[in-house]
Amino acid sequence: MKRSFLISLALLSLASALLYWTVPGKRTDIPVLYWITQDDENKRATVAAFHQWLADEHLPPVELRIDNTNGEATKKLVQGLSGVGSDIMDLYGYEADLFPATGMILDVTEDAKRLGFPPAATYPALKPDFIINGRQYGFPRNAGVALNWINRGTFAKYHVPEPPMHWTLDEFEALGKKFVAAANPPGIRERVYFVNLVPREQLRRGLGLANYNETDTRCTLDDPRNVQILERVRRWTLEDRLMPSREEGEAMSADISGDGSMFSHFTSGRFAMVYVGQWALIILRPRGTFQLRAVEPAMDGFVNTDLGGGSVGVYARTQHRKESVRFLQFLASAPFNNLIVRIADGLPPVPKYAETEEFLRPSDHPNEWGTAAAFAEAARDTGITMSKSPFVLHSIFYRVEKELTEAMISGRMTAAQTAKAMGDRLNQEIALRIDRDPALRKLYDERVRVQQLIDARRAAGKPVPAAWINDPFHLAYYRAKGWLEPEARP
Amino acid sequence: MSGLGHRGSPRRRLLSGIGFLLPNILGFAAFTLVPLVMSFGIAFTDWDTLRHNIFRNEPLRFVGFENFLWLFHHPDFMHYLANTFFLMLGLPFAIAGSLGAALMLTRVSHRPVARRGAFILATLLLTGSGLLLRMGGMSQVGVWFIFGVLAAISLVTGVVTGGSVYRTLFYLPNFTAGVATFVLWKKLYNPSGPINAALAPVLDRIAGWVRSAPGVFSWGLPLTCGVLATALMVWQLWRLRQHWGDASAGSVAVVTGLVMLALPVGLQLYWMGLPALTAVGGPLGVVLVGAVLILKRPRRWGPVCARDAGLSAEIALALGLVPLLSLLAAGVMWGARLPSLAAVGLAPPNWLGDYDWAKPAIMIMGLWAAIGSNNMILYLAGLSSIPPELYEAADMDGASPLQRFWHITWPQLAPVTFFIGVMGVIYGLQGGFEMARVMTKGGPAGATTTLSYFIYIEGFETGRLGYASAAAWVLFALVFILSLLNFRFGNRSAND
Repeated sequence: MKRSFLISLALLSLASALLYWTVPGKRTDIPVLYWITQDDENKRATVAAFHQWLADEHLPPVELRIDNTNGEATKKLVQGLSGVGSDIMDLYGYEADLFPATGMILDVTEDAKRLGFPPAATYPALKPDFIINGRQYGFPRNAGVALNWINRGTFAKYHVPEPPMHWTLDEFEALGKKFVAAANPPGIRERVYFVNLVPREQLRRGLGLANYNETDTRCTLDDPRNVQILERVRRWTLEDRLMPSREEGEAMSADISGDGSMFSHFTSGRFAMVYVGQWALIILRPRGTFQLRAVEPAMDGFVNTDLGGGSVGVYARTQHRKESVRFLQFLASAPFNNLIVRIADGLPPVPKYAETEEFLRPSDHPNEWGTAAAFAEAARDTGITMSKSPFVLHSIFYRVEKELTEAMISGRMTAAQTAKAMGDRLNQEIALRIDRDPALRKLYDERVRVQQLIDARRAAGKPVPAAWINDPFHLAYYRAKGWLEPEARP
Repeated sequence: MSGLGHRGSPRRRLLSGIGFLLPNILGFAAFTLVPLVMSFGIAFTDWDTLRHNIFRNEPLRFVGFENFLWLFHHPDFMHYLANTFFLMLGLPFAIAGSLGAALMLTRVSHRPVARRGAFILATLLLTGSGLLLRMGGMSQVGVWFIFGVLAAISLVTGVVTGGSVYRTLFYLPNFTAGVATFVLWKKLYNPSGPINAALAPVLDRIAGWVRSAPGVFSWGLPLTCGVLATALMVWQLWRLRQHWGDASAGSVAVVTGLVMLALPVGLQLYWMGLPALTAVGGPLGVVLVGAVLILKRPRRWGPVCARDAGLSAEIALALGLVPLLSLLAAGVMWGARLPSLAAVGLAPPNWLGDYDWAKPAIMIMGLWAAIGSNNMILYLAGLSSIPPELYEAADMDGASPLQRFWHITWPQLAPVTFFIGVMGVIYGLQGGFEMARVMTKGGPAGATTTLSYFIYIEGFETGRLGYASAAAWVLFALVFILSLLNFRFGNRSAND
């Protein structure tokens, strides 16, 4: 028995050693970098382009490998904080704030200046996604603005006019009602919707309301303007049925497996419009030739669109710091930007590549002409990144806002109660976090003091220095309204 | 191995033994013991992964019971705790389902004719159900496909294999990967999926019946449910009074029995939209009056008993009584609304998307899984260990099948039922994570978020490890207390 035990032990040890020696990094002399992203044709093309770029630039070769199994935010966070994160990571939405805050993303400010990928190389409005407290923590892989994609064939089928580029909420409602009435005669089995969703944050912003105040120290969703938007959303979902409720949406997704369900319903005509970024073309192109347009989401007041890139950061404990930073440099290069233009994965991170003929009027896809210009214009003129507060995790914000909106749609709360609950819950979160984190408390107290100064100036009708405002929406709104001090204007 | 114990000095043998045990001990220490002790410590700190990690390395702060106190101020904690308890209401049905499956699969009856008869009966039942659905409006193809095939399989495999195929099929849910099961049920629950496709025409026909005779449903259904609920409650009051009178129930048991009666009524009143004070206060008043009326009654027979005497019987009865009364109360509540609902057509439920249906949908899935679970295997083992002489004696006395079950099978299975009950409560409190993550993401509006999913969110999405650990220890305390109560009161009936 002892012998068999020892033999098993020896065999297992041998197998472990073999496994260790066959790890890619051990078999090759060049550094192996792991990049957490999706494993698809476009990312593989990016990897190939990076290898080629290194060779063209006479830089030392590296082997870039895609790690598509650890893309979930929780996995990235837990692995990163445990010291075993991948070298390079895609950072989406709130990750771009959260991960650098933990310290797990490398500060590349100096590298960016030296290697030529500073914030000035990309869209100014994208900066909040990778610049935190004046330090740079990555570089955008692309810029994404969400607009309403229109399937022109669907509108033509039901003889309903297409929406204009700019439209108000009342116009949206009137046209939506007309569309669903035409598309859903009595006895229809599968309901046809006007749009898949409406962006609540952008609708609120249209009325001058952000998730937080100017200094991100207080959640302002308990404002009556949020009640107005929530009431509209409830009416459009339950009464007018212009868009599916959560359960209807999930049921539609369950009809078709995979992430492409929204696009399947769009191409088949069950959604007349879908609210999504320009990257939709990656999925739409292989499905056929559709006559497409892109228009702004309907909005009252201040026209704005949702801008957010997928930025890329370097893991602070990477063993290949220099090589990983090179990848960020590659993102600002011509080969990479041209690749983004070719595959239509959103807007290229360097704006000048969005002005090329190949981007604006791709010769193989005349059915898309006009859409790229709409996205580029939105990124330049109306795009604003999401409002995030350093005092509340955006994942909490997202969960609270979503759950309470669902509760309202299911009839458990009125719009007014929902708005109040959102404000109360998120301000309670702020209180909790600053109570526990002395450094955050200090920052909070400082910002509250600034907020009081802003409020006082606004009450007196005086302009405010741009440097006082932290929230990207408020900054854009103040600028548009002429409420900033003259020297702060661009 | 047998020779090993006889060779070498005791010290050498001890070392050999430890050597063999060491991998397991190390694994237990590394992956269970140390994290357990650490999590207890973490529960009293402000550990936040954003600040306390290998990059920022800020010092941890001892916060005493702050995490625990904050937990009870969290607006959602009580909601998620209530969700967890609500989902556990399915436990009695799950126990009954696994027992029913075991009874069907075992040879309780020693008469082969009766077994064959059972298969034929099952076939007839399935065929009859199919015909009923057809009459209700379900498409002929669907009926044939589902019930025709099922009936044929039931008959053929039952006669040919003597039931061994059924044992395998019934156990299928237990060795199917949980995630695969959840994905399958998600597809089944799809509003345009197979369940609703079967229900829709049936509900259309029912709606037609309701529209043609609205009065029968608007007052008939609530009245029937109301009468049945009242009869059940009167029976329970009478029972408690009798048991108090003959000293087989103590004061704690009487009050528990009354509370269990009031609980479903209170919950229904609350869901009907009455203020919490009225919903709780009304039934509580009835409990108090009932308690006074019963407890003031002098005991004419028997000695004075312990205060908790009969408590285990009340808890066991409550497992069945509470869900049944809840269903009847729902009948009272919804019956009156049925005609107005039928006027616009009865739509099948949106199982996972509707706030009110999401939890029952999960419970139905849990019931399916429980029928073919380890519990069924335990009951099968328990049934096989019942001495056959008992049944023979019962046969000679001319006992009916129901009497045989009630006076032999059920009491003999009491230890198994007790074990299943204890484990069911433990798993029920700890469960719900995979299901919530795969099927609903805890929605809609938090309707299916259980404590375990909440702990995951707080720990790994929000990063508040101190708070998540506190929640985990509160969950442990709940499990511990309920298990203690189970052992304190349930064990008695199992061993009596």
